[in-house]
Amino acid sequence: MSRHHLFLRLLLKAAWVRKDRALTALVSIAVVATMATAALTVYSDLDSKLSQEFRGFGANIVVTKKQGSLTADELTRIDSLLKIRHLIVPVAYAIANGPYETRVVLGGTDIKAFRELNSASWAVRNSDYADTQVLLGSRAANAFANHGDPFTVSYGARETNLSPEIIFTSGTDDDSRVYLPLKEFTALTGVGPNTALVRAIARPQEIQAAIATLSTSLPELEVKPVRQFTETQTTVVGKTRSVVLVASGVIVTLIMLCMIATFTSSVLERRKDFAVMKALGASNKAVNFLFAAEAAMLALAGAAAGYIAGSAIAFWIGKANFEAAILPQPWLFVPVLLGSMLLALLASTAPLRLLQRIQPAGILRGE
Amino acid sequence: MFFRLLFESFRRQKRRKSVAFLAIALGMSIATAMIAVAAGIGDKISQELRSTGANLVITPIEDTLDVNLGGINLKPASEGAFLAESELPKLKGIFWGHNIVGLAPFLSDRATFTKDGKSIDAELIGTYFEQSVRYGKESFTTGVRSVNRWWQVEGAWPQDYAEWPANTAPDVLAGSKLAQSFHISPGDQIEVAGKKLRVSGIVNTGGAEDQAVVAPLHIVQQILGRPNAVQRVAVSALTKPEDAFGRRDPNKMTPVMRDRWYCSPYANSIAFQIHEVLPNARVEQIRPIEQSQGKVLSSVSGLMLLLTLAALLGSVLAVSAAMAATILERRQEVGLMKSLGASNVSVASLFLTEAGLLALAGGVTGFMAGGALARYIGTSIFGSSITVHPVVLALIIFAALAVTFVGSAGAVRKAMQFDPAVVLRGDA
Repeated sequence: MSRHHLFLRLLLKAAWVRKDRALTALVSIAVVATMATAALTVYSDLDSKLSQEFRGFGANIVVTKKQGSLTADELTRIDSLLKIRHLIVPVAYAIANGPYETRVVLGGTDIKAFRELNSASWAVRNSDYADTQVLLGSRAANAFANHGDPFTVSYGARETNLSPEIIFTSGTDDDSRVYLPLKEFTALTGVGPNTALVRAIARPQEIQAAIATLSTSLPELEVKPVRQFTETQTTVVGKTRSVVLVASGVIVTLIMLCMIATFTSSVLERRKDFAVMKALGASNKAVNFLFAAEAAMLALAGAAAGYIAGSAIAFWIGKANFEAAILPQPWLFVPVLLGSMLLALLASTAPLRLLQRIQPAGILRGE
Repeated sequence: MFFRLLFESFRRQKRRKSVAFLAIALGMSIATAMIAVAAGIGDKISQELRSTGANLVITPIEDTLDVNLGGINLKPASEGAFLAESELPKLKGIFWGHNIVGLAPFLSDRATFTKDGKSIDAELIGTYFEQSVRYGKESFTTGVRSVNRWWQVEGAWPQDYAEWPANTAPDVLAGSKLAQSFHISPGDQIEVAGKKLRVSGIVNTGGAEDQAVVAPLHIVQQILGRPNAVQRVAVSALTKPEDAFGRRDPNKMTPVMRDRWYCSPYANSIAFQIHEVLPNARVEQIRPIEQSQGKVLSSVSGLMLLLTLAALLGSVLAVSAAMAATILERRQEVGLMKSLGASNVSVASLFLTEAGLLALAGGVTGFMAGGALARYIGTSIFGSSITVHPVVLALIIFAALAVTFVGSAGAVRKAMQFDPAVVLRGDA
């Protein structure tokens, strides 16, 4: 039997004969690798996943023209300058006369986009009018069309008949307003859109960057964040990230310590193996190498299993909590593997130093 | 004899026992810290989300339509109805009064301001900045400084005057855009309706207030000649994210369900309770804020819950592996005991008692360490500590016992399966 054969045999037999011992060591390494992979995978995607949840606030950037109305060209430029996921809704406002000599704020907009912008927050009645052209705020509906009858709004000499189909409640100023398609609105009032409501769904720093790009590229427009929402998003995302990071750090460190303790203890329990090998003439180097190779083999298997399990946990957390999977991060595999190997080597060779100080004969006699 | 065996086992095998103890304590401190953080994060994030402002708005029922355009209110204050400011403390008396963490009343109208002989039309908004409000024996401080936290003031915030101050002009804030176009800087005096005001600071909100003058409510009531009147109250309430049950109409529920709905802090049930004490008011959720806050809150809490579950699973496996490892190495002891005539039951009870004692000690230590970690996470990230509920101690000790028993039971059984003679010869 060659030296290499013997070495391999020792390595595999040690694991095979004491399957339970190898298994406990494998489990402890796999748990460390799983927790590290899961925590880092979740952390790496957290800010973009969590930022999605802020879409319900509606527009977080407001673009207004200082003079006159926004042209189609300007709207296209805003659209092409925004490299992040976004929705642009141009709106125009005018004060018109409603029934019973009341004044009402009339809005002209892209009805479909405007509904989409507010879809997460509005409570909508009669939402089955899919292709409706008129949106009625609930207070406006109460004032003009309590029984669902059509009503007339006029602007200057012109007037138009509207039928109340979709009625929404938002709890904001919009409840007192009536929205029409932009074309009809402009035909009635002669006013074009002056404001574009922009909902950008992205990480806080990407939204800041987008605002900066818009302001420098379009100096004739005023670009403002809705600070109330963007600031909250920044703090909430930032703090959640910190909590996840610190908690993951705590979990991984503690589980690592737990694993090192298990590993060290199981090496110390093998002092008889150690003594027999030494008594048969193995050098310190050879014994060290054997123990290290065992640890490396276990670490390799444990890290691979842990990486798969950890990625699966992160995937599932994404699915269950954000309704979108958090995908495995391939770059993580190498650090997880190297980390596990390093830990296992440290935990298994450090106790050998202790044993080397003792005479093998003493151990074999049971001292 | 049993106790002697137990005692000597701890005395002579200090290293083995300390490894097991360490593993249990580490696992349990992870569990404690994560449970505490997952339980506390809802409150903490809820506090952070309050910076989006009020989530409920109260307006008078018989009010006419608002005519607000670009932050300018075109409805004269003579039109429409008002709420009585003196009724507002009643909000604290509702069932969920403690969840009402802030309120800011508003009264506004167009006014003509003059400075150095020039005049400009702008909105005059009256509100509370940091007003002390009394309800019964309780008093609390509230106003835009705590409700609308995104308002930034350059200069000083005004105080909330109860009366028009005798000898000086009362302090007000000027909106940043108004200040720019009308050349107002902190310390300047402006006049409205023949009354002098002193601008103590410039306010930047990113909203309509940037083009307005924001003054203490009682000062605006005097200027407009409407004592005790407010037009709108923004209320910041801690709510439970709305679910299908929270959306249901309370008038169509059975009495038992209605009680359950009433006693849950949904935005709708808090709105319902406010309407009970202010019958002339319409109370509405500010839906973009309330709905999204709920969404974000459940998302963050859900994330922490899932991470906690993963961490618990990890620590259970780690502790079990450690316990199994320490016991598997003791098969010679088992062989010796059995060859001396010990029954399986007595061997198992000795090992499990050892495990139980270790679990108790490790559980208590882990609970204390985990509590300290949770406090550290709370203070370092949220600036306020996360406390661990004492009930968690019972849970942790139970978990520690369960985990160590599960971890050791398998290993003890395995060790007992071997023939003692084989084990003692060292052939196993």
